[in-house]
Amino acid sequence: MNDKTASGSGPANSSAEPLRIGVYICRCGGNISDVVDVERVAEVCRHLPGVVTSNVHTFMCSDPGQKNISEDIRNEKLNRVVVASCSPFLHELTFRGAVQRGGLNPYLYEHANIREQCSWSHKHDPQGATAKAIRLIAAAVGKLRYAEPLDQIRLPNQRQALVVGGGVAGMKAAADLAGRGIPVLLVEQSERLGGQVNRWNRVFPTEQPAAELLGALRKQVEGHPRIEILLRSRVTKISGFIGNFQVTVEGQIGPAGRRTEVAVTVGALVMATGFLPYAPRDGEYAYHQHPAVLTTPEFLELLRHAPDAATLQFQGRPVRSIAFIHCVGSRQVEGVQEPQADGKINNYCSRVCCTTVLQQALTVRQRFPETEVYDLHQDIRTYGRGHEDYYIQASQAGVIFFRYHGDEIPTVALRTDAPAGAPPLRLTFKDYLTWGEELTLEVDMVVLAVGMTAGTCQSLVEQLKLPCGEDRFLQEIHPKLRPVEISVNGVLLAGAVQGPMNIRETLAAAGAAAVKAAAILAKEQVELNPYVAQVDADLCEGTGQCVEQCEYDGALRLVQVVNGDGKARQRAEVNPGLCVGCGACVAVCPARAINLNGWRLDQYEAMVDGLVAEAPALVAATA
Amino acid sequence: MAAGFVPKILVLATERCAYPGADAVGKAHQEYGSNVYVFRVPSPVLFPEDFYLGSFARGIDGILIAACGSDCPYRGAYDRLAKRIDALTARMRRGGLEIERIRITAICTVCIKAYLKEVDEMNAKLLKVGPVNRAKARLLQEQAREELRSSAAAVAA
Repeated sequence: MNDKTASGSGPANSSAEPLRIGVYICRCGGNISDVVDVERVAEVCRHLPGVVTSNVHTFMCSDPGQKNISEDIRNEKLNRVVVASCSPFLHELTFRGAVQRGGLNPYLYEHANIREQCSWSHKHDPQGATAKAIRLIAAAVGKLRYAEPLDQIRLPNQRQALVVGGGVAGMKAAADLAGRGIPVLLVEQSERLGGQVNRWNRVFPTEQPAAELLGALRKQVEGHPRIEILLRSRVTKISGFIGNFQVTVEGQIGPAGRRTEVAVTVGALVMATGFLPYAPRDGEYAYHQHPAVLTTPEFLELLRHAPDAATLQFQGRPVRSIAFIHCVGSRQVEGVQEPQADGKINNYCSRVCCTTVLQQALTVRQRFPETEVYDLHQDIRTYGRGHEDYYIQASQAGVIFFRYHGDEIPTVALRTDAPAGAPPLRLTFKDYLTWGEELTLEVDMVVLAVGMTAGTCQSLVEQLKLPCGEDRFLQEIHPKLRPVEISVNGVLLAGAVQGPMNIRETLAAAGAAAVKAAAILAKEQVELNPYVAQVDADLCEGTGQCVEQCEYDGALRLVQVVNGDGKARQRAEVNPGLCVGCGACVAVCPARAINLNGWRLDQYEAMVDGLVAEAPALVAATA
Repeated sequence: MAAGFVPKILVLATERCAYPGADAVGKAHQEYGSNVYVFRVPSPVLFPEDFYLGSFARGIDGILIAACGSDCPYRGAYDRLAKRIDALTARMRRGGLEIERIRITAICTVCIKAYLKEVDEMNAKLLKVGPVNRAKARLLQEQAREELRSSAAAVAA
């Protein structure tokens, strides 16, 4: 056992008061106590260094359980608290609250997880589980020896929002934010609002004209007293942190295209820069090798202008047959498709292309009854409400389906020997709706169902150091629990900037992002978790090794300070607004002068000591 | 190897991915050895080499670094971590500590099978190699600590 935990209950931190730790062990109504001998755990833990009280309770999270803590803090003059119960993700905040109500700093609290990571995982090993619970509590007690009171970081809040991107997501986010009383700057790079949806005719599954949908959204933002819209404008520079982002927007105003620059400060920012349709390489499925090989957006454009007729016309020729190929630029297979510019393939599903194809195929069959439609898919993923109807209707309308495998993609060849008027394109593929039979189709047109790609906001990604996934889309903190937040505080994700989404999902995400931004901007000050790096000025030697490790501009820098002896020297300084608390700096400090608040290195070492303490030493006093 | 040897395994589990992953194992009532202890960490990138070696010196037999992998929410942290672990294993190899004692892997919030596989494999490996030679680990810990300390002088010079 290390001497740090063996040396009794003397204070380990700077404060002079001796440790008085309360340990509370939860039965969780049997969830824990059916496996772990909680009475024995309490008995052993009573003798851990610094512990003055150790109790068992049936439900620590109940009101009486929490009251127990608050009262003991006052009556027993506790200055540290451990609760051993469920996962900290459930009740860490609950017990910090109880500690605070007892008059103690909420960060002088530790949580030991003896349910998810003990009783539930070691059901058939009660002895082992009991010993493990003791060690986990000993580790928590050890960690508390080096705990310091912490305060939430409070910073002034610039109570307005920036929305980057004026597509459906940006308009929805701006409208919702303004509706909550928050001034919004909406920046759109093109000459009009609406984004990609401007290119679409009707949206599935409602078949509402896209222009009508956009009109409804535009009405909510245009002329709104709290929304300022900047068209033909781009965010060129951005720096700062939650509550205080400094933004430069460059734009062109007037027919002369005069360049203007606007500088604003905002407290929160919504990323609504959307996606780009996948652009096939030259030659990919004969794209750009023959004019009758089109992408789905290009085909929409054709449909928009084509008059209804028995047969669709293209460049003065009848289109008697069309083959749609799914998954172009999506669900690519390593070694089969050529990698993208960054060396990676797009192995993700773009989610909306299946329904898009079916909608377009059905439109063709309805408007041009003599044009045959073939559909070549890996799978049909009509996952949204009402989407499957398109599949059923397309089948009934005579669309002919084939299924290919992702590692045997169809080939499209030009029929150079075709007689005049004959179909100019030949598809070859194996069809797995049958038995993998090799088939050829001769068609007048091939439509490539292109997926969604990221990369619409590269400059902001670099300036704000926003994390991206393997698929290059912006990456949320947690796909389920925190789906519209990103690890840079104050930045919210709205829509397809985060990954392929349909309009319904995009608007839901944009609404959620607006609510999150509004919650940030509702307060005079922003409050941040105190888990950021902190420099011990007495220990810091100013070597700057930590600064080299830091990936976040301005979070950590060297400053000149003047000592008592009048000599200037360098030392590291943390900007708590910009520090994300990753700890990359901690590992390289030669003097151990920099640490993460709440996760100090000496705390981890004390936790290890708690784990490895020999059972006899732990239980000696109980004999 | 000592009879009845039960290795102590420390899992350094990221707050965003692997720690909830370990919780998911419990929620699914899947069982693994009670000799496995999980510490919650923002990112294991914060640990210097001497922390790992010191843990071995104190009585931990194997460390599983359960990170977020490419889902790491912190920019550049995973690459830096991987480099640190490369340096650590090189030092262990030079100093005669079995490198099987350390493993870096990615565990997601729902990676129940991956978690179980990793801890079971670590257990099996440790049963094969036995307890840590604590004196060797202590020596390497001091060496790593000293190198880090003297890196300040190198920067100053």
